[in-house]
Amino acid sequence: MLSRRAFALGLMTHAAGLLPSEVQAQEGVFLTEAAAPAAVFPRATDFERTIVPSTPELRAQIQTRLGALRPSLWEEEYVIFTAKHRAMLLGYGVIVEEIGKHQPITFIVGVRPDGKVAEVAIMAYREPYGGEVRYPRFLAQYTGKTLRDPLLPYRDIHNITGATLSCQSIGQGVRKALALVHVLFLKEGGS
Amino acid sequence: MHGGHRTQGISRQLAVMLGSFVIGMGLVHAQDKPPGTPVPLATALAERVNLGGYGSVKYETNDLKESNNGFDFRRFILTLNARPVPRLHFNFELEFERFTALELERSVEATAGGLKVEQAVEGSNKSEIKLEQAWVQYDIVPWLNLRAGALLVPVGRFNLLHDDNRWNIPRRPLVDRGAPVLPVKGTWTELGAGIAGETAIGRQGLVRYEIYVMNGVVLDAEVEEIVQTRDPRRDKLELEAEFRPVGGPFDKDLNAGKAIAGRVLVSPSLGYELAVSGYVGEYTPDILAADEYVWSIGLDGKATLGGLEIEGEYVFTRWKNIKRVARDFARIVRDKSADTPSSASPTFEAEIEFELINLADSKQGYWIELRYPFWPAALNQTVLGKGFTNPQLVPVLRWEQVFFNDLLTDFAFKGGAVTTLATRNATLNRLSVGFAYRPSPLWVISLAYEYTFVENGSLRGLTNFLPAQENESKVHAFLMGIAFGF
Repeated sequence: MLSRRAFALGLMTHAAGLLPSEVQAQEGVFLTEAAAPAAVFPRATDFERTIVPSTPELRAQIQTRLGALRPSLWEEEYVIFTAKHRAMLLGYGVIVEEIGKHQPITFIVGVRPDGKVAEVAIMAYREPYGGEVRYPRFLAQYTGKTLRDPLLPYRDIHNITGATLSCQSIGQGVRKALALVHVLFLKEGGS
Repeated sequence: MHGGHRTQGISRQLAVMLGSFVIGMGLVHAQDKPPGTPVPLATALAERVNLGGYGSVKYETNDLKESNNGFDFRRFILTLNARPVPRLHFNFELEFERFTALELERSVEATAGGLKVEQAVEGSNKSEIKLEQAWVQYDIVPWLNLRAGALLVPVGRFNLLHDDNRWNIPRRPLVDRGAPVLPVKGTWTELGAGIAGETAIGRQGLVRYEIYVMNGVVLDAEVEEIVQTRDPRRDKLELEAEFRPVGGPFDKDLNAGKAIAGRVLVSPSLGYELAVSGYVGEYTPDILAADEYVWSIGLDGKATLGGLEIEGEYVFTRWKNIKRVARDFARIVRDKSADTPSSASPTFEAEIEFELINLADSKQGYWIELRYPFWPAALNQTVLGKGFTNPQLVPVLRWEQVFFNDLLTDFAFKGGAVTTLATRNATLNRLSVGFAYRPSPLWVISLAYEYTFVENGSLRGLTNFLPAQENESKVHAFLMGIAFGF
C-alpha cells in the first residue's frame, strides 16, 4: 500500500515534472514567429514568408494612409506571410510592434484581400500590467475593421481597465499593418 | 588614467541606459531572442526594469469656516517593475504625499554644569512617505502565481486601482479614503503572501482572483505633541497617544492572529465585471486581553453600456465588540489623562492623554460613478486635440453614501473604569459632478463640484479631510486637479 509520504512525494515530483512545459505568465512570449501566421489564418494550408525592408519611402507611404497619427515606432523590416488555402489567397499576416506603456508589444495582424482585418494575435507582451489584451475576447474586436476605422478605445474599441495605453497601441499597430498591406498589395487609397 | 577610462565607459553605458528609458526603448526584447544572440547591455537592462510614476496636484475651495482655499500637491509616486528573469517579477510603489522636505538636526554639546542634547525634525505639513507596494511574484501558470511582500489589500476595487490619473474627479471616494469604510483608509497595504491568477472562460469570459494571508489591521499608537500658549490660563505641553486602526506592522506582528483577504472577479464579457471581496482579521494587539476581529465584505463592478461607463463599489465593515475593547483599553491605561496640578506649576501645565479613535461598531457605504467619454472631431485641430492620439472629454457624476453605526465619539475613563462612552449613528452623503479633459490616457485635467452633507447632526468627526465645526452639516466645494503618469 502506498504510504502518505510516498504519495505526497509522487505528487510533488509529478507536479515538478509537469509544470515547466505549462508555464506561461501574463507577460511573455505567446506565439513564435513560426506559429503566428496560423493563429490569424487557421484555414491556410500554405504560408509564404517575405521580408520587406522598412525604407523611408515605404514609411512615408504608410504614414500618408495613416493620416495625422504617428506610430510609436517604425520596424526595421516587415515580416509578411502570404496565406493561401491551396491556390486561393486568404490574405497577409504582418508582424508589427507598438510601444504599450514602457515596452513594445509584438503582434501579428491578418489582413484579408478586401482590406479588412481577419484576426489579430499577440506574439509577445512585455508590460507587467494589462496582459488581458492577449485574450481573444479583446482581439476579436478588430475582426472586420478597415483602415477607415479609428481603432481607438472609447471610439470603436472597448477599453480594458488599467491597459488603456496597450489597447490604444494595438489599434495603432493594426492600422499600421492595414496601411502596409494597402501600400504593398492592394495599391489603392485604403477602404 | 585607467580609472578615468573606466568611469567614462560606465558613464557612457549609463547614458545609453537612461537614453533608452527616455525614448521608449525601441525594439528591445532581449529575453525573446534565441539563446546566444548578442544583446546590448542597455537593451537587456531596459527590458528587465521599468521605471514609472504618477502624481496629482489639486486646488480646492469650499465654504467651511475653518478651511482656506489653496493648492495641494496631493501625491507623487515612483513605480518600478523588474523582471530579472522571465518568471520572476518585482513590483514597487513609493509614495510621497504632500512631501516637500524632511530635515533632522541633532547636536550634543557640553555646557556649564551639564550636557545639552538637541534634536529637531523639520518637515512639511501632513507629509507622508509610504511604501504602497513592494512584492515579488513567482509565475507558475496564468491561473496560479505566488506573491509575497507589501501587497494591496484586495477589498473593493478602488484600493487596487488607486492611481490618481485613472480617475476623473480629483478626490478619492469616501468609502475608501475620506470616511473610510475599509478598515484602513486607502491606499491600504499589508505585509503578507498568497496566490493570484486569472483564466479565460470560453471566448468571452474571464475570472481573476487573489487570496492572501497578512499581518493585518491592528490598533496601534501614534504620539502627537501639542504646544500651546493660553493666556490667562497656564501654557501647556501635551503628549497625546492616539490608538487607531492602522495597517499591520512590517516587522513582528502585534498579535498572533493573521488576517485573510481575497477577491474574485468575474467578467462575462468585455466591458462587464463583477467582483466579490472580503477581509477578516484580529484587530486587537496582544497588550489588550480581548481578542476581537474586524471583517469586511465588498462588492464592486463595472459595466459599459454603449459609450456610458458605470462603475461602483459597496463595502461593509464590522468591528466586533468595540465597547469591550474600550473597557480593556481603559483598564490598561488607567486614566485617560494626567497633568501637573496648578499648585505645583502655576504658569505651565504638562499633560499626557490617551485616545481611542476611528472605531465604529459597523460602517457601510458605496459609491457609484457614471461617465461618458467622448471627443468631438471638430476639436482635432484645436489646441486641445492637436498632437494627441486619442484625447477625451469626460463628463462624470458620482454619488456616495457612508452609514455609521455606533461611531465612537466620546470616550473617557478614570482609574481603569469607563466614565463616558458615547456613540453616534450618521449618514454621510456626497454628490460630485465633474468634467475632465484627457489629452492622453495617463494625463487628466479635471474640474469638479462637490456637495457633502449629513441630514441630521454635524459633519464634524465624520471625515478625515473636512475641518467641519459642530454647527456645520453641509459643505460645497470646488476642485480643480491635474493628475499625470509616465
